[in-house]
Amino acid sequence: MLCEFCKINEANVHLIKVVNGDIEKLNLCVDCLKNFNFFPAEDFFNDLTKILSKIFEVDIKIIDKSEDSKLFNFSGSGENKKCSFCGIDLNTIKAIGKVGCANCYKEFKDVFIPMVKVIHGNYQHTGRVPVHASRETKIEKEIKDLRYKLKEEITVENFEEAAKLRDTIKKLQKKLYPVKKNK
Amino acid sequence: MKKLKTKIFELEGFQDALFNKRMKEQIIVTTRTRIARNIAGFRFNSLSSKKEKKNISNIVKDVFFGSAPNRDYVFYNINRLSEIQRRLLLEKHILSPEMISQLYGKSLILKLIPGYLNEVVSIMVNEEDHLRIQSITPGLNVYKTYNNVLKMEKILEKKLSFCFDKDFGYLTSCPTNIGTALRVSIIAHLPAMVAGGRIENFVKNLARIGCSIRGFFGENSEVIGNLFQVSNLSSLGKNDKQILDEMHAVCLNVVDSEKEAIQYLKRTKPASVEDSVFRAYGMLKYAKMLCYGESLELLSMIKLGQTLEILGNLKSFDFYQLISLLGESNIILSLKDKIDFNKKDEAADKIDTIRADIVRNKILKGLDKNV
Repeated sequence: MLCEFCKINEANVHLIKVVNGDIEKLNLCVDCLKNFNFFPAEDFFNDLTKILSKIFEVDIKIIDKSEDSKLFNFSGSGENKKCSFCGIDLNTIKAIGKVGCANCYKEFKDVFIPMVKVIHGNYQHTGRVPVHASRETKIEKEIKDLRYKLKEEITVENFEEAAKLRDTIKKLQKKLYPVKKNK
Repeated sequence: MKKLKTKIFELEGFQDALFNKRMKEQIIVTTRTRIARNIAGFRFNSLSSKKEKKNISNIVKDVFFGSAPNRDYVFYNINRLSEIQRRLLLEKHILSPEMISQLYGKSLILKLIPGYLNEVVSIMVNEEDHLRIQSITPGLNVYKTYNNVLKMEKILEKKLSFCFDKDFGYLTSCPTNIGTALRVSIIAHLPAMVAGGRIENFVKNLARIGCSIRGFFGENSEVIGNLFQVSNLSSLGKNDKQILDEMHAVCLNVVDSEKEAIQYLKRTKPASVEDSVFRAYGMLKYAKMLCYGESLELLSMIKLGQTLEILGNLKSFDFYQLISLLGESNIILSLKDKIDFNKKDEAADKIDTIRADIVRNKILKGLDKNV
C-alpha cells in the first residue's frame, strides 16, 4: 500500500484517529509522518494517551530500525495483531488509549509489560484477588504475600519466623505444582 | 430524583454543631475513593455496543436489587434524568463528565447516608469501565471511604465475577487503572500555601512521590478557589492497604504544610495578603452578581482572612459546604419559580444574582448593617 500523502513510498505507519466515535484511517510512510506533525494537538490526546503516544513514538522508531527496537520486539512478528475475543488491533489500542476486553491483556501481554512499567513503575499485582479467582491464582497470591513477609522477617533477623514462613511457602508450592514435583 | 433532591437539601440544615468542630482548620475538604471493575465475559466499554451496555446495566441492577430489596439504594437510568439533574450530580462529583456525554445504557446506583452532608456511596455503571464504585465524604476519611466501597463490591461480587489477571490484577479498559484499580483522591483547600508562594515547590514534591495534582474538577480542569485534587498515580504493584496508608500520610503532610504556611503568614502578615483578603471582602459585600469561579476565589480568600484572624466581623462558615451550594444546577433546583432557559443571558444573570445573595446571607447577614 502506498503512502496517502506522497504516494511514492510504501505506507508502513497506519494511523487510526478516533474523535467522538468517528474513525479516520491514515496510511503513511515514515517520512511523511515526520514532516506532517500529526500529534501536536492535545485535542484528541488527553492525559493518558500522552503516555501512550510516547510509546507510539518508540513504535515509529522501530519501523525506523533504531536502537530502541529491542524494547518492542513485537512489531516483527505480525505487527497489527488482533485480539481474538473482541477484534481490536494494537494500533487502535494505541490510538484510543484503551483496550477492548480482558483478553487483550493476555494476548498483548508482551507489548503491555513495558508500557505498564512506564505507567506504574511495576508490573506485578500484589493486591487483593477476587472471590471468584481460580484456586491457583489464590495460592499464587498467598505465596507472593508470604515471600514479602519472609523478606521483612529476614531484614529484622527474625529467622525463626522466617523458617516457618519458608516451610509454609514450600507446602503451598507443592499444592500448586504437584505434578511437577513428582517428576 | 425529586426524592434525591429533597434529601440533599434536607441535609443542609444539619450543619452547625457538627461542622463547628472542623471549621477552624479545614484543609482536606473531601476524600473520594473509587475502584474500577469490569464484569468477566463482556467487552470493555471502549468497544461495547449499546445492547451490551444495556445488558450490563440490567445485570448489575438485578444483582444489586434482586436478592433482597435494598431500600437504602436507588437506581437511576442516566438517560431518564433531566439535564439539570445530571448536572447537579456532576457538580456533586457523583457523576463524571464521561457519564453525561453518551447516555444510553448508563446508570447509577446511589446511596445517601442520612445525617451526613454530602456523604455519598455510589456505583457508576458503564462509565469507562463497567463499574466504578465510589464513596465521597467530607474531610479526611481515606479508610472510611474505602470501607464503604468495599461493602458495595462485596454485594456485587456474590454473583458477579470480575476481570482479573494474576500479573496485572484487576483489569480496566485503560491501562493506567489496572492492578488494585483503586484511586484515592482528596480535595485540599490550600490558600495559605498559594498566598505564601509555597505551592509550586509543594506540587513538585507531590509529583515526585507519585501523586497526581489536578484542579477541582479533575482531569484537565483549572485550579479555582485554591482547591487542589491530589490522587495516587499508580495502582499496580502495591496492595490496597499500602495505597491507603500512603495517601493518608500524604494528606497529613498536606495538612501540616498548609498549617505551617498559615503560621508563617500569621507572623508576617504580608500587606499583599491583607490586601487580597479585604478586596475579597469588599467584593462579596457589594457584588450583586457573582459567577461560580469568582465566588470560589473570593470565599477562599475570605476563609484565609478568617484563619489568619485578619477579618473579625464575619460568621464562621464551612468552606466546602458553602461552595457546594453555589453550583449552577444546585441553585436552579432550589428555586421555587422556574427559570426561562430560552432567554439564556437573563437566566445566567438571575443565577449569578442569587449566588451573590446566598453568599452575603451566609457570611455577612446580621453582622453588617448594610446587608
